[in-house]
Amino acid sequence: MRLKFVPSPPVALRAKFFVTDEMTDSHLQSSEPTETLDQRGSGDRMSGDVSRHKEIVYSPESELRRGWSLVNDTFHGFVEGRELAWRLLQRNLRGMYRQTILGVFWAFLPPLANALVWIFLFAQKVVDFGDDIAVPYPLYVLTGMIIWQSFVEAIQMPLNVIRQNRSMITKLNFPREALLLVGWGELLLNVAIRIMILVPLLIVYRAEVGWAGLLFPLAVFVLIVLGTAIGLCLMPIGVLYQDIERILLIGLPLWMVVTPIIYAVSAGVPSWLHWVNPPAGLLIVGRDALLQRSLEHWAMACGYGALSLPLLFIGLIIYRVSLPILIERVPS
Amino acid sequence: MSREIVVYVDHVHKKYCRQLKRALWYGVRDLGSALALSSGKERLQVRPGEFFAVRDASFQIAQGECVSMLGPNGAGKSTMLKLLNGLIRPDGGTIRIRGRVGALIELGAGFNPILSGRENVLINGAVLGLNRAEITRRFDEIVDFAELAEVIDTPVQTYSSGMRVRLGFAVASHLKPDLLLVDEVLAVGDVGFRLKCMDRLQRLSREGTAIVLVTHAVNMLARLSDRAIVFGQGRIEFDGDLSHGIAIYEKLLDLRQEKRDEKSFQGLDGARIQAVEVFDAAGAARQEFGSGETIRVRVQLAADQEITGARLVASVQSPTSGIVSSMTTAASGFRLDLVPGVQTVELTLHDVPLMVGAYHLTLSLFGRKAEFYQRRHGLGEFLIIEPNCDGAHGANGVIRLEHSWNKV
Repeated sequence: MRLKFVPSPPVALRAKFFVTDEMTDSHLQSSEPTETLDQRGSGDRMSGDVSRHKEIVYSPESELRRGWSLVNDTFHGFVEGRELAWRLLQRNLRGMYRQTILGVFWAFLPPLANALVWIFLFAQKVVDFGDDIAVPYPLYVLTGMIIWQSFVEAIQMPLNVIRQNRSMITKLNFPREALLLVGWGELLLNVAIRIMILVPLLIVYRAEVGWAGLLFPLAVFVLIVLGTAIGLCLMPIGVLYQDIERILLIGLPLWMVVTPIIYAVSAGVPSWLHWVNPPAGLLIVGRDALLQRSLEHWAMACGYGALSLPLLFIGLIIYRVSLPILIERVPS
Repeated sequence: MSREIVVYVDHVHKKYCRQLKRALWYGVRDLGSALALSSGKERLQVRPGEFFAVRDASFQIAQGECVSMLGPNGAGKSTMLKLLNGLIRPDGGTIRIRGRVGALIELGAGFNPILSGRENVLINGAVLGLNRAEITRRFDEIVDFAELAEVIDTPVQTYSSGMRVRLGFAVASHLKPDLLLVDEVLAVGDVGFRLKCMDRLQRLSREGTAIVLVTHAVNMLARLSDRAIVFGQGRIEFDGDLSHGIAIYEKLLDLRQEKRDEKSFQGLDGARIQAVEVFDAAGAARQEFGSGETIRVRVQLAADQEITGARLVASVQSPTSGIVSSMTTAASGFRLDLVPGVQTVELTLHDVPLMVGAYHLTLSLFGRKAEFYQRRHGLGEFLIIEPNCDGAHGANGVIRLEHSWNKV
């Protein structure tokens, strides 16, 4: 070891107990040069040069009191966790179909079956909405479903990733944000697969997709953000009490029924219901944009869309603050 | 050589609740107060059903130090490890850690049995914090260390449990953190691999990594560690020299009251073993001895009537190894006549050839025709704390045989 001894009396250290990481960093660099630059980790160390000096403080104080440094940590959690997230995503995907004969085909089967159901119902004239819907009914339903499902899966995602990785979370310390990246990765993949099935249908039904169609992925994206934010706020209670999961199981299909997905916007439920239903406006605009109809509900969509980012930010902070409290309560 | 301190643990408390419903509800309340910017002062209050798993723990660990955390089950070692690892937050006090923390807690966490060993090494490495370049650079080294070069491309589900542990250890031990937490993982694998693991940990320690070991396999510690922190019911009972710590730990293992009681029996009334005290050769009351010292045990016997030709049976016991030796007054030809009142008998153990550890006596009192009066367990505790165990003096075993070495 080439490290120098640094006399650091405990009393002096106690005085700077509750300093934040950044403050400690600068403090250490200015008055306590623990190692000179060339002596820092020989490159063989796991830690980079900077983190050699980073001091971690664990105390009973609420982490929210750390203010900006908590936000900073969340951001770094995503940056540091991206490689881990990529590996875990690969692991999940490779593991998923390795023991099957049909392999990745299984990823396409459920949405394909779903599409066939609506095509069949339409062809049999079981459902007929007449003039309320100007585009072929299967297209209308499937587009709405893609948007809706990404929202629903985003709500369930935070709770699911914590459940699935419980043994890892309770035993190892790694950037927790990596799990959210994995969740988003899987979610986007599901959306992509559904879109791949939608594209041939657009061609078959001769839908004219214009530039406005670009609003469709944007609407999906915003709904994923909104859904994740809701999911993150539910996650802490959901980890403690399984009631949340059960409520979602029953509540989400009901929520879908009051959202104009399988029926026309003008039909079904009264229109004020769309205004209090956050995903409704975004869903309608996304679908209308793709299927080239007028964008009537854009105000609704913009309102809830603008809300989604700050809400996600709050959700991410709750996620980070709540995990240590949850870990001590759940069985490993 | 003095070194920089890596871990400061300052008056740390941590409480738990064993009842599920309450624990969940407290969880909700803790979440609430965390989101309400609580200062955390209220967390030291014990709510109904809660107890302290770690109570007022303070210690420091310097670079390159290897510390063993010992203690009976439920004494707070694992909680302390989780606190150090940052998985849970203290309810009181502060923990400050300078540098990166690595953990060998559950080997192979995140292994997927369907994927190959190679894929799992990459995943496990990422979970533990190695970046892509580091894993790629050390991949061959890791596989060599695990001795799994031939099977690295077959699915992990075809591996034996020993092979999985080897792979897990190989990955985890190739991180080079500033603080390494090791929980009960050294007890697995075959002897050869275990020795290799020890060498690996020794090397990390020499390179400056501070290591905290939690294990019940005390006899393996001597090669690695020279300091022990002993936990008993959440408190730090001892912090210091390993040999002494092992002795204290063994004492804690054995001296839980219920265990003592269940091995004690009351027979006939009329005579009792009242107290047992331990003295050194010079007659001073002492509990800690070096190997080879003479120990005097004074036994106070109380009788209600005259008992001629009574017999006292004494056995020296070790909590880890059981009965070490036993002796009786009868076999030694010592005539023991009890008179009404209290009387003291002295048993001298000459040049006690015991190795480092905790010991105590079990005494039984019989009449002349083997009428059973009383048996008491766990009396007259004493510790053998020297010579220090290190790489040269193992802590294995109980008896120190007279021996000498010659070159022929």
